[in-house]
Amino acid sequence: MAILEIKNVSKFFGGLAANSDVSFSVEEGMIMGLIGPNGAGKTTLFNCITGYYPPSRGEIIFDGRRMNGLDPDKVCMLGMVRTWQKVRPLAKLSVVDNVMVGALARTSSLKVAREMAMEQIKVVRMEHRVDFLAGGLPIGERKKLEVARALATQPKLLLLDEVMGGLNPAESEEIIQLILDIKKRGLTQMVIEHDMKAIMRISDRIVVLTSGEKLTEGSPQEVVSNPDVISAYLGESHA
Amino acid sequence: MNKTILKAATGLLVLALLLAIPRYVESPYALHMMILLFMSVAQGQSWNILGGYAGQHSVGHAAYFGVGAYTTMMLMHTKQIAPWFGVWVGVALVVVVALAIGSICFRLRGPYFVLASIAVAEILRLSAINLTTLTNGAEGILATEIPAFVIGGTVVTDFVTKVPFYYIGLFLVLLTIGITYWVQHSKLGYFFQAIREDQDAAHSLGISISLYKNIGLVISAVLTSLAGSFYGIYVGFVDPGTVLGLDVSVQIMLICIIGGMGTLWGPVLGSLVLVPLSEALRSNLFTEALVKIGMVDAESKVGIFLKENLSHAHVLLYGVLVVLVILFMPDGLMGFIKKLATRRKQEAV
Repeated sequence: MAILEIKNVSKFFGGLAANSDVSFSVEEGMIMGLIGPNGAGKTTLFNCITGYYPPSRGEIIFDGRRMNGLDPDKVCMLGMVRTWQKVRPLAKLSVVDNVMVGALARTSSLKVAREMAMEQIKVVRMEHRVDFLAGGLPIGERKKLEVARALATQPKLLLLDEVMGGLNPAESEEIIQLILDIKKRGLTQMVIEHDMKAIMRISDRIVVLTSGEKLTEGSPQEVVSNPDVISAYLGESHA
Repeated sequence: MNKTILKAATGLLVLALLLAIPRYVESPYALHMMILLFMSVAQGQSWNILGGYAGQHSVGHAAYFGVGAYTTMMLMHTKQIAPWFGVWVGVALVVVVALAIGSICFRLRGPYFVLASIAVAEILRLSAINLTTLTNGAEGILATEIPAFVIGGTVVTDFVTKVPFYYIGLFLVLLTIGITYWVQHSKLGYFFQAIREDQDAAHSLGISISLYKNIGLVISAVLTSLAGSFYGIYVGFVDPGTVLGLDVSVQIMLICIIGGMGTLWGPVLGSLVLVPLSEALRSNLFTEALVKIGMVDAESKVGIFLKENLSHAHVLLYGVLVVLVILFMPDGLMGFIKKLATRRKQEAV
């Protein structure tokens, strides 16, 4: 069953079409990869899906419900949560307090929220950082904190915007394992990523965007062998 | 565990001391200073909830202070309604004003919100000057005849001495500290701080930004209005400049900036610095001290200049103080103390 359906979504900024007529659907339990060159409209699409921009045209259906025009907080309460390409830690709060803010979307009790937060901190393996200020963490741990905080809101669909951006290979490998762990627990994920090797390993299906339009969609093997994709990334002479 | 017991014991001791002071201290001047201190703490705590925790730096809190003060005084003066009823009318009005201001100003972020908050307070100040039939304009309202507070035939207090005001002030301090403590230890405090640290991140985590900003504003405004009403009946006089002026907003904010924003004890520390300082300036203590230690001759031109002008220089001194605090203690006195404490701990290890 499709948990998320994107139907002919377009987003215009003045005359510029950041997304035009994009359609695809995400099945429950899968990892959907979203790739494309810089400026292809990946983050804009995330912003439309999670309520930061209203789409100019088209429909976003999540869990059988039309999401167009809902605010980000409502989107989160309905079970769809995103992380940020440029990390946004709550700098002056500790790691556990950061994750508790997420958990408090589902409970009013600080005690319960703390337990829920500790659970997610364990998932991202940051137990040794519980009382550290989020602002003082190195980038790799900030990225993991983003994921823990998003998980604490108990989502049905997790949207990861370049969680491996700026990480070294060892840190990226950790994140890959984390994403696969999360998948094992049955959570659906949609992942924007530039690291092609990583996205090939984790994705069940991949959607390719270029200049705001959907170029193709398929399994990782289908996508890499598609001449259109190769020419979009490397130029026509390589196709 | 021992630490919490120690903290609680210290708290109770300080409270007992504060409760006992009017029994042993008769000097009206000393009580007056304590009342000013209480008022300042209450103002600072009120602002701190919105400005310190939720990070919405309002420079227009004079609006809520003034509406509270004016409502209570106007009702007492023209309708002979006792202040302990008038206060609640003030609170109700302030909630309406706060929600109106919030729905407009919270669309703006950062410096734009600050400018809008100043503008709204200025609109109220100008209204108070020009709606002369209602507010008596720039002349202000003088109303010193407070009816005696009677419960079941016995007079609890007739408000002749400063003692009843002392206890009302102390109650306001306990109320505002209590509410701040409750906010800090609830979902509300977490959401406020999340909004302060990163509004977009908070929004993505299921926090309704406009709802929680307005909740913070209403709590903050209601408490400020109580402080305003208290000011009105204590001084017995309000005019647009003293309760609705930009000075008032700045003073309220300074308490928190100097003491430490977003901390429970910051406004208390800030008040302990600012209230004695402004009193020393007002009564020209500094000039006298300089003359006494022989640095300045009282009859010389410098001495006369200081005597005549230093008492009006509080704004200048506040400015210098803010610059120093921002340069050397960006997190206020509380942040400075915390830093010292952690440094000592690290040295011990």
